[in-house]
This record gives sequence, structure tokens and C-alpha cells, in this order.
Amino acid sequence: MNLSNIQSLPFSLPEALLAVGVVGLFLLELVVKRKAVLGELALVITAAVTCLVAMQSGGQQGLLFSGMVALDGFSIFFKLLLGLAGFGAVWMSLGSNEMRDEHPGEYYALLLSVTLGMFYMASATNMLMAYLALEFVSQVSYVLTGFIRGSRRGAEAALKYLVYGGVASGAMLYGMSLVYGLAGSLDYAAISQVMAGLGSGGVDGAVVAGAQPVIYLALVLVLAGVGYKIAMVPFHMWSPDVYEGAPLPVTALLSVGSKAAGFAMMIRFFYPAVSAYDGDGNWLTAAGVDWQSLLVVASMVTMTLGNVAALRQDNIKRLLAYSSIAHAGYMLMGFVVMADDGLQAMMFYMVVYYIMNLGAFTVLLMVLNQSGREDIEGFKGLAWRGGALPAAAMLIFMLSLAGLPPFAGFIGKFYLFAAIIRQEMWVLAVVGGLNSVVSLYYYARIVRSMYLDQPAEDAPGFVADRHNGVLVGVLAVATLVFGVWWRPVVALADRSLSFFTG
Amino acid sequence: MQGPDLSVAAFLLLSALTLGGGGGVIFSGNIVYSALSLMVSFLGVAGLYVMLEADFVAGVQVLVYVGGVLVLTLFAVMLTHRIEDIKVSNRDVGKLPGLAAALAMFAGLIAALEVAPWKLPAEGVAHEAFASTQSIGNALLGRYVLPFEVASIVLLSVLVGAVVLSRKEVAEPRVSDDA
Repeated sequence: MNLSNIQSLPFSLPEALLAVGVVGLFLLELVVKRKAVLGELALVITAAVTCLVAMQSGGQQGLLFSGMVALDGFSIFFKLLLGLAGFGAVWMSLGSNEMRDEHPGEYYALLLSVTLGMFYMASATNMLMAYLALEFVSQVSYVLTGFIRGSRRGAEAALKYLVYGGVASGAMLYGMSLVYGLAGSLDYAAISQVMAGLGSGGVDGAVVAGAQPVIYLALVLVLAGVGYKIAMVPFHMWSPDVYEGAPLPVTALLSVGSKAAGFAMMIRFFYPAVSAYDGDGNWLTAAGVDWQSLLVVASMVTMTLGNVAALRQDNIKRLLAYSSIAHAGYMLMGFVVMADDGLQAMMFYMVVYYIMNLGAFTVLLMVLNQSGREDIEGFKGLAWRGGALPAAAMLIFMLSLAGLPPFAGFIGKFYLFAAIIRQEMWVLAVVGGLNSVVSLYYYARIVRSMYLDQPAEDAPGFVADRHNGVLVGVLAVATLVFGVWWRPVVALADRSLSFFTG
Repeated sequence: MQGPDLSVAAFLLLSALTLGGGGGVIFSGNIVYSALSLMVSFLGVAGLYVMLEADFVAGVQVLVYVGGVLVLTLFAVMLTHRIEDIKVSNRDVGKLPGLAAALAMFAGLIAALEVAPWKLPAEGVAHEAFASTQSIGNALLGRYVLPFEVASIVLLSVLVGAVVLSRKEVAEPRVSDDA
């Protein structure tokens, strides 16, 4: 179905609730005396939004608002993930000492509004809408990054983020203008038809003269914009500084939320919009443009650079930033196979990555709340000074991030590797395997520090706070459960990979 | 009839304004000159919009960018202290490699764009004048109403965010003991 504006309204309840939440929190901040209520309200809204999205699943599919956004399995899957990311960020913020007095009304409203932007990134099927959604998320993220007042590090991070973001989205806009010049339309559906007309036989197929260079150029430029959102090399430079300078809940949201939204937008643009589906689980690039090889290289460089740079980090936020760059590289492995199983592996991995990475950030938040430290010293002897449970959870998250069985991270990587091995991309598989080994070193370093280092004599005891503890517990259990019983999530990813193109 | 030639001349002139202004922004050592060069560039772009018969967009360009954004930029530049000696922590690669990269990019762009199969309106189709303001209004409240509304939330969020970021925190009023 292809709905007009008014007809679309009943199908955009989650977005409407988020928008009402944004405006409502801005206004409530003026009248409510007890500010803690605002954060709790934001928590309820994110939870309600996620439920509303879940209720849409399995329902009607179609293009909403005259082709601006799609309501399909793919967008519902990502909206669920992003709603949960928003929920996690709000939950962490409520349990964060550094965010306690930082303008709660505005802060939580901005968290909701960045979630709304990510929803549109995942569902946009029109270049104008996609660009607007990307800018939406970026602009609000700049503000959130520098939100802690008087934080020099935060201000510097926000500025760096802004400058890199401006260049990246400028490049993307130029790329999109080239696509518009070729297609004469902003709609993905129309673009895909024009692209098919320019030659849809894959890399070896016949091509309309002159189409190849300009499409290649356009795709590389668009890649700059989305690559910046997912922290892909060479558009990753902002990420360590921003992850380090931003408030911890915001860092967590950037790493699990805007990365997933970036991937969703990238998949929508590179698959249904500019590639052709052969009806048999495989995709063919338009006009013989071989962006696949380019991204194979990008994937290898991204994971290698992320892992190697993470080896030398003592600040855990920075370490997790490089780890998150490396994970963008792993997820790109699923992107380059040009087949449905690769995309499904990616989607599954994003769920797993959400669980384990959010968990790691929440343990870090507990340590930060207690000791004010976010470097590896803060974890020293954590297990022996009252933090046995958080340490055990961190152990689970770290080994899962490294991709060891029997944790969910192993299953996630297994599916990614299976997808590339099925396409016989041996070099990529070997590089990915080596990278997993390298990454084990720095994840194990944190584990070693927690368990094998004795705490200093005068080290303060660690009291786990219950609020963050609950989130850590749930995520740790999920990491374990999905490590042995992953079928339901994989089935959800399989089922959700459906694009509605009109 | 001198029409086509005149429009080519106008296009070249406006492009020169746009590019020259852009160059001034980058190469000028003085940030005030940079801001003023930006105005030249904005005006050139406004002229290009007029040539494309996007008169409304051209008007908005002048009103919003030249009249609003640029004046604010100038204010910000002039009110900021010590903007002269900025410490540059990320050095560039140098003028020559930069120039080479730019030229290579330019050559690549020209080569690719020249042969591209652009989707152009068919030759000889009569070009009708249309009311651009009216069509923009219809598009904004018709087909493009979702982006229009989303943009308003973006602006609201960013506006509030900017206020929060730039607000000088007033210290809590201290209750003096002798009061």
C-alpha cells in the first residue's frame, strides 16, 4: 500500500508519541518542580514507543507519507532496536551521577528527539527524508556530546563531531545530487528503476555508456555520510574523541543507536535503491559498479585499525570506541556479500552488539559513578572489593565482544563468517579471524585487571548500585541466553528482512 | 536576439562570484574578510537560483543566509576574543599535496560528469513559466509534509540545545548570613 499523508497517520503512532514526548518534556520542564520525574517520564515513553513498534510487526506493510518512509519488516526491526537503544540510554542517564544536575528536561527531550531521528533514518525511502533524518541525528548528537557544562573535553568533542559531521554530510549531499541527476527523482523506488535501466546485470552485465563512473562517484560520496555515522575507516576519526568526551549514556547511545541507524540507512540505500534483487536471495549491483570490492577493503581496514589502535588504550571509553570501530568492520562483512543471508547476519549481530556493548558501558558507568575513574585502573581488583557481580557481568560482555563461545557474540560472528565463507571470500574471512584474535588481547586485559590484579590496600570498596545493576544483569543474562538459544532472534532477523518498495 | 549569450555571460559572472567568494573564505587569513567573502559567495548562489527560475529560493537565500546567518556570523566573529592566534593542533598536509589532490578530484569529477547519462527534459519541449512560490507551498504542505514537520522538530531540538550549551550558568544565589 502506498498511503497519502492523512492515511499514514494511524501507522506512525510510535513516531508521533516520540514527537509528543519531545515537545511535552520541553514544556513540562518549565512547570515540574521535581525534575527526576522528567527522566522517568522519558523512560516510560521510550518503553511505550518500543511496545507500539512491536505491535506493528506482522501487520500491514507500505510506504507512508507519499513515499517518504517505509513501514516494512526491515524498518520495524530497526525501530525496535533503536527504541531499546533509547530506552537503555535513558535508563543509564537516570543512574548516572554526572547527568544528575544537567538540565534534565532538555536532556531527556533531546534523547527522545535523537531516537525519533534514528527511527526516520531506518525507515526513510526518499533521499530528502534520509538526509534530513541523518542531519537530525547528527545535530542533536552534537548537542548531547557537549551537554555537561564546563566540560572542556566534552566541548572539544562536540566541536570535532560537528566539523567532521559537516564535511561528511556535505559529501553525501553532493553524492545524492548526482543520483538525483541520473534518476530525476528523490524516491528510492524511482531510483531503483532508473538504476535497473542503466544496466542491472551485476558486475559483468551490460551498461549504458558513461553511467559507471558517475554512479561509482555518487556511491562513494554517499558512503562518506553513512560511513561517518557507523564509524567506518576513513570516516572514523571523530569517534575516539567523541566517545571519550561525551557523557557516558550518550556514548552508549552513539555506539549502539546511531551506528545501527547508520547501517539501516546504508542498507536501504545500497540494496533496494541502487541494486537489483534476483528473487533468489542475491543482489546485483547496478550498472556494473563494483562497490562491493571497495567495501571489502574498507571492512578489512576498519576492523584492523580499530583493533590495533584499541590495544594501546587505557581509557575504557576510548578502548570501547576503537572496539566499536572494529565491530563496524565486522558488520560490514555481512554488508559486502550482496546476499540476504549476509544482511540477516548483520541484523542479528546488531542485536547482539546492542546487548553486549550496552552492558559493557553500563558496567563502566557503575565504576565511573563509584570512583570517578573511566580508565583501566578503575577496574583494578574489581572482583575482590565488593564488585563480584559487575565484574562477572563485564567478563561475560568482554568475552562476548571478543567472540568467544558460549556467548552471544560468538553466534553473531559465526553467522557473519558463515555468510562470507558461503561467497568464498577467503581473504576477508582470514583477516576477520585474525582480528578476532587480536581483539581478545585488549578485552582480556580488562578481565585480567578485574580478577588477577589485587586491589590496592587503600582502594575504596565497591558498592553496586541497584538501578544500573538491574540493566547489567538483564543484559548479561541475555548475552548468555542468546549464546545457547539464538534461534528466535535469528528467525526474527530472517523474517524482518523485507523491503517494501512500492 | 542576444538572449542565450547574455544568460551564458550572466552564468559565468555569477559562478565567478560564487567560486571567488568561496576561495576568499578559505584563503583569507583574516576571519572577518572570510565572513565577508562568504557573503559574496551567497549572493552568487542567489543569482544562480534566479537563473534557474527559482525566484523564491533566491529571495530566501538572500534573506536567510545573507541577512540572517551571515550577520550573526559576523557578530560572533567580532565578539569573540583572541580569534587571531588559534593553535592548530591538526596540521594540514601542505599546499602542494592539497592542490594536487584537489586537481585530481576536479579532473575526475569533470571526466565522470561529462559522460554521465543525465536524465534531462526532452529537447524542444516548451518551457512554461510557473509560480514557484505557489508550487513550493503546495509541495511543503502536500507531498513533503513529513520532512517539513520533522524539520520543525529538528529546529526546535537544536534551538533548545543551543540555548543549553551557550547559557552561562549563573551561580546559585548564595543566602548571605547577615541578611
